[in-house]
Amino acid sequence: MTRLAETLLDALALGSVYALVALGFTVVFKASGVMNFAHGSVLLLGGWVVAATHGAVGFPLAVLLGAAAAAAASGLLHLLTARGLRGAGAHAATILTIGADLALLTALGRAIGADYLATGDPWGSAVVRIGGVHVVEARLAGIAVSVALIGAVFAAFRWTRWGLAMRAASADEEAAALMGVRLGRMRLTAWCTAGALAAVAAVFLAAFPSPGLDRSTGQLALAAFPAAVLGGLDSAAGALVGSLAIGLAGALAAGYQDELGAFGEGLPGIAPYLVMVAVLLVRPSGLLGSKEAVRV
Amino acid sequence: MTDRRLLRSAAALAVLALAATGCSIKADTSSDRVGNDGVRMGPGVTETTITLGALTDLSGVYASLGKSIVNAQQLWVEQTNKVGGICGRKVEIRVKDHGYDVQKGVAAFAEVEPGSAMLTQVIGSPVVAALKQEIDSKKILTLPLGWSSGLLGQNYIQVVGPTYDIDMINAVDFLTRKAGLAAGDRIGHVYFEGEYGENALAGAEYAAKQHGYTVVGQKIKATDTDLGAQVTALKQAGVKAILVSAGPKQSASLVGLAAAQGLTVPVVGSAPAFAPQLLDSAAAPALEKMFYLVSGYPAPSADTSRMRQLVQDYQAKYPGAPVDSGVVSGWVAAQVAAEALSNACTAKDLTREGIVAAHRSQKALNVLDVPLDFTDAAKPSAYGSFILKPAKSATGGLTVAEPAHEVEATRGYPLPRG
Repeated sequence: MTRLAETLLDALALGSVYALVALGFTVVFKASGVMNFAHGSVLLLGGWVVAATHGAVGFPLAVLLGAAAAAAASGLLHLLTARGLRGAGAHAATILTIGADLALLTALGRAIGADYLATGDPWGSAVVRIGGVHVVEARLAGIAVSVALIGAVFAAFRWTRWGLAMRAASADEEAAALMGVRLGRMRLTAWCTAGALAAVAAVFLAAFPSPGLDRSTGQLALAAFPAAVLGGLDSAAGALVGSLAIGLAGALAAGYQDELGAFGEGLPGIAPYLVMVAVLLVRPSGLLGSKEAVRV
Repeated sequence: MTDRRLLRSAAALAVLALAATGCSIKADTSSDRVGNDGVRMGPGVTETTITLGALTDLSGVYASLGKSIVNAQQLWVEQTNKVGGICGRKVEIRVKDHGYDVQKGVAAFAEVEPGSAMLTQVIGSPVVAALKQEIDSKKILTLPLGWSSGLLGQNYIQVVGPTYDIDMINAVDFLTRKAGLAAGDRIGHVYFEGEYGENALAGAEYAAKQHGYTVVGQKIKATDTDLGAQVTALKQAGVKAILVSAGPKQSASLVGLAAAQGLTVPVVGSAPAFAPQLLDSAAAPALEKMFYLVSGYPAPSADTSRMRQLVQDYQAKYPGAPVDSGVVSGWVAAQVAAEALSNACTAKDLTREGIVAAHRSQKALNVLDVPLDFTDAAKPSAYGSFILKPAKSATGGLTVAEPAHEVEATRGYPLPRG
């Protein structure tokens, strides 16, 4: 029972941090139809700024700086893909993000080297005991912060003009433009939001039990990729559900792999993709993605 | 008409090609020459210089380790040349960075190999695996910086020190004494998929069987950095000790979470499972309390005159550079190369065959208290492992908890065929 509770808590913690990253994928895709492969290195940049500045300005301000830097980088990337490739379509922009990812990752890799950078988070290695279950404090904080941020983004979708504009544009871009929606500004805001969320995710990915932020932290964003796809790329709620499903699949597979015999060996690594494929077989546009109208 | 002309040019081309290959064959055989001092000279050796090659990682995942190894070997070059070099010739090492990329590694080998007498380091088991046949056909003595027993049994490849599986047998012996394990107990083993982790697991399972323990295996990937689920599973299985054959990040996560969940059992890691940088992380207290490292080489903080000298010289030449395990392994490999080359010189044969023959005649070489026997290519060159312990204040973040000694079980272990 304790084992199940601990595994589920792990899954929830992992899933909620993935959700921050997956939401970034979704927001960007919804706004501009681009799969942002540079999201992982933007995440790393945000985390690196937090690590570099926390000593001077303290943790809370460092997180704000990190979020601002990641938002700026993400926004800049958007301007580059949107302006530089005007008219080339979302596919070309998607490819461009792969190049941008490589460039940014190489630069950050040089800056970070082989170190594990501390982000100065206040939780350290503290552990809370609830009943017989041990929970790492940084994880509880991760769940709380993710829920708050995701809630805020959802509220923005629902009740702000920006959210309305995005939903309108995602439903019918041309009609939205004709109705006076400023697509450029809406997209820029979406990319910046995605960057800021990624920076916050970086703080929790680098927190205990991880030894700190290192050059491979950005790769973890890849784990959020199946989450976004499985939820339906253009659905924010889907990203959330997808992330929890991926977190659960990974944690359960790891927690019980020894009981699954030969089948369980190595399962945790592929579990997210297995779940993704299984879901896509039944629902090709993801759990909550909008169906594409196809006329023959 | 056109046909005949075509035929003629084709014939001309064929002759040209034949001539070209003929030339290159001639060039090959003439590369073994005899110097004025009567020493036969192979590729990389001239009257004045012995050139060695190194394929390393200065820009990829093991960049920091690669830098330490290169530095340590260049220190050796400097010191050797100061006292007249080897065989009256200056020594130099040509270093090529492959960034832990197999393709780049193969290209770098093709570039460095023709002008090198031997290779003093090749980082990366995948790179060495890809080069196995080339190394064999070029007969170039190669010292890989990777300790998988899959590399044994090759005349021209020399793993210096015990292999991962032997290390794990020694680790289980240490745990038996340290944790008071008894038959029927369970030990966890968290390991990377691939050659390194699986080679280590083979050793752990063999040793466990000898003692009557059960190994609870947890296979992970290099991208897995949160080991919460693995810790929960090991705790549930009631393990009395844990082995880890993964990277430093995984060790920190494993030990940190195990301590957090109250699973305070000793954890022993394979040599690549630790980096001194971990001692600045939140997991440092738990690492200092629960973690041990099994290694074929002593820690840089070891209290022996030769190690003190090495650390002192290294810090003098590279002020501020960390003295980590790479410095020790790079230095040991350089000493092995030095012995092979000077023995080959004594036999007046610095051809590749001569160097490997001189190397294989080494039965009892002692480098930094590591006794090495290179006479049987199919066997590890050492069977004893040091047990090291993290300590923030120590040079390189490690102290020696137990000097190397041989465990009987290692000799009965059936080595996997590579």
